[in-house]
Amino acid sequence: MPRIQVPNTATKGEIFQVKALISHQMETGLRHDSEGKVIPRKIINKFVCRYNGLDVFVVDLHEAVAANPYFEFFLRATESGRLDFIWEEDGGGVYSLAQQLVVS
Amino acid sequence: MPEESEIRGSTRRELLLTGVTGLATTIIVSPASASDEDTELIEHLTGKIPTESDRVHLAMPRIFPNGYTVPLTIEVDSPMTEDDHVKLVRVVAPRNPLIQVAAFHFLPQCSQPRVSTRIRLAEPQHVLAVAEVSDGTLLMAKTWVEVATNGCA
Repeated sequence: MPRIQVPNTATKGEIFQVKALISHQMETGLRHDSEGKVIPRKIINKFVCRYNGLDVFVVDLHEAVAANPYFEFFLRATESGRLDFIWEEDGGGVYSLAQQLVVS
Repeated sequence: MPEESEIRGSTRRELLLTGVTGLATTIIVSPASASDEDTELIEHLTGKIPTESDRVHLAMPRIFPNGYTVPLTIEVDSPMTEDDHVKLVRVVAPRNPLIQVAAFHFLPQCSQPRVSTRIRLAEPQHVLAVAEVSDGTLLMAKTWVEVATNGCA
């Protein structure tokens, strides 16, 4: 399950830190099961942070991002509004969280 | 006795010569070809030739016991204005079975070209970070990371 750590308030122009984590195996498709069959790839392949509808930070993830993908990144507080955090999984699964940010 | 030492000497000389030749080959050929290989790899991936730049800071531990979760921090010096900003940063691990690790996209005025995460490394290698600037140029940094366990198995 996803988790984020982001401030509720910021002053205009301020750079603030965001931490985003999702519990996920990140199965690479390179491993075999006990019968020698390839375990199919299933990874989070995209992460998007959207700020009032604008994609402000996007990650294309490949197999070599560690299990339980964690990102720490920095945004500029421009206006009050909504932050959306979206994780897309192989096979079409989508996980998301949202939070309001008040900018003064 | 002199004969023995002569034999010993010639053996040593031979060894020494072999050693020196081997060393010279390593010193002259290896780093040059390694850096050419990295450049070619990035050119193959992106269609552009990267230049090494001290504006790209790639921080990773030199030695890390566990190849499954190696910490990585990237920061690129950039004003992040409409005219001059970092569009994206790619991370490549040339000695992993699948060499692309991640690509981070940024937006001028809104995000900073700075990110931390954790990656998998299959074996000791140079990890590459390649930043694409708004004028289209590619800036590259690399750092050597020694891992004890294969994080891709």
